[in-house]
Amino acid sequence: MNGDENAILVEAAAWHAASGRDDMDWDGFTAWLEANPRHRTAYDEVALTDAVLEEHREPLRLAAEAADAPAPRDEPAPLRPIEAANDGEAAPATVFSGWKRWAGGAIAASLVAVLAVPQLFQPAPVVYETHDTAQAVALTDGSTVMLAPHSRLTVAGRAQDRMALAGGAWFDIRHDPARPLAITAGGVEISDIGTKFDVQTGDAGVRVKVADGEVKVSADALAGPIRLSRGRSLLFDGADGTALVTSVTADSIGEWRSGRLSYVSMPLALVAADLSRYAGVKVTMADELRGRQFSGTLVIGDGEAALRDLSQVLGLALDRDSGGYRLRQR
Amino acid sequence: MDAPQAGPAAGGLAGRFELHRAELLRFLGARCGNPAEAEDLLQELWIKASGQPGGPIANGRAYLFRMANNLVLDQARARQRAMQRDRAWLETEGHGTEGEGAAVEDRPDPAPRADEEIARRQEARLLEQAIAALPPGAQRALRLHRLEGYGQAEVAQIMGISRSGVEKHIAVAMRHLRNSLADCGWFAAAASEDGAGARGDGPRRDERS
Repeated sequence: MNGDENAILVEAAAWHAASGRDDMDWDGFTAWLEANPRHRTAYDEVALTDAVLEEHREPLRLAAEAADAPAPRDEPAPLRPIEAANDGEAAPATVFSGWKRWAGGAIAASLVAVLAVPQLFQPAPVVYETHDTAQAVALTDGSTVMLAPHSRLTVAGRAQDRMALAGGAWFDIRHDPARPLAITAGGVEISDIGTKFDVQTGDAGVRVKVADGEVKVSADALAGPIRLSRGRSLLFDGADGTALVTSVTADSIGEWRSGRLSYVSMPLALVAADLSRYAGVKVTMADELRGRQFSGTLVIGDGEAALRDLSQVLGLALDRDSGGYRLRQR
Repeated sequence: MDAPQAGPAAGGLAGRFELHRAELLRFLGARCGNPAEAEDLLQELWIKASGQPGGPIANGRAYLFRMANNLVLDQARARQRAMQRDRAWLETEGHGTEGEGAAVEDRPDPAPRADEEIARRQEARLLEQAIAALPPGAQRALRLHRLEGYGQAEVAQIMGISRSGVEKHIAVAMRHLRNSLADCGWFAAAASEDGAGARGDGPRRDERS
């Protein structure tokens, strides 16, 4: 590589590293790009490098942690509030000497593959699990999650930006474009979140309903991500990889928190799954009834009463079963 | 381009977009090097900006430029991935190990998934080694910022250096990683882009009216 090319790369990398700043000099960057077409190519290469790094982020992070395992466990200095961040040239070098020792160990150990995760910086994921009652989970940024009964929420990442849900939950997430929060739930990933929305997962699929703002829902089985805005509901069926988007009354979303479940043309299998989660009644049905649609509101204070209402509206017979109830054609 | 105008209801980002439209177009032109493509991307940016929930955004102009910059990057990445697939396919054909006798048009996808998976693992391995070989400061800053997800200001706190010091470390790291990828011919496909386009088998931008 000649010196000229290297000089351009140095500049390109500097522009790229600065591009996340709020006071990034976009005019200066534009002028730099216009000055020489090779600048654009160099910048592309640096940005593509960063993009491919991002794609491999998780395995690389784990590999780096594994390589660090035998190194001394220096804890990072406690974080001060972001406002205190020093943008000047001279900042106190409080933990630097500690780091040097640690880096030496890391490099020496980098050829050793040890499968131990020392959790130096990444806090261990926190798992919340509910039984018969719902539980509120408060995140440090002021966002809240109301976790439904018989559900499990895993919160990972130092910025609490990675979550996994099994069951049901109501999310009230503060909008922050700088924090790429993602929630995985039963085969879909929900991202670009700045909103209030409800998620239910179960054997019969995943439901995402947006009460305010907007979210993006992606899944391997889908051709592309789907954007959902206020008052939209998505029903994703992982078995056949289909997604159905419908409109719902925004006020009815997350109603389970006040003891009600409202449906518009909802397959009976999903209603039954909800009743078992929210009303504590187990109900089974013949396969041909699973797709039968129900519209209406059920009050879940008394599970048995809710089930009776459901069977009456649909004109089905309700039998006691060994473990619970069974719906069948009259 | 007869771009839609922001209506009176469009506040926030969409309003900001109108304010900065000219400089965003100029930036996109400089960034992607193709005026027609820049117009397309500007339209895409408008759609994205007007689709954003109307929450308050502290620095709308920087946010829009970042979005624009990311649009160009996404496009470059998609193009590069397509190139890699083409190349993997050519290599596979060259070895004659797979798809032998199958006409090109019979192949459902030019790149068999197994090949892609191997390429991905090679990529990860290459990056892992390149990161391990970085100078200590650059390595730590990169790991904290790009792997652990700390903001640059937080990395500055943890490392006890200034924010611009972190930026310098990140820039050094990116340059090293770029060189490692370049040494392995990772950008070769992207560099032959024009030739691929001329052969008519390169990725095409979808034509929009």
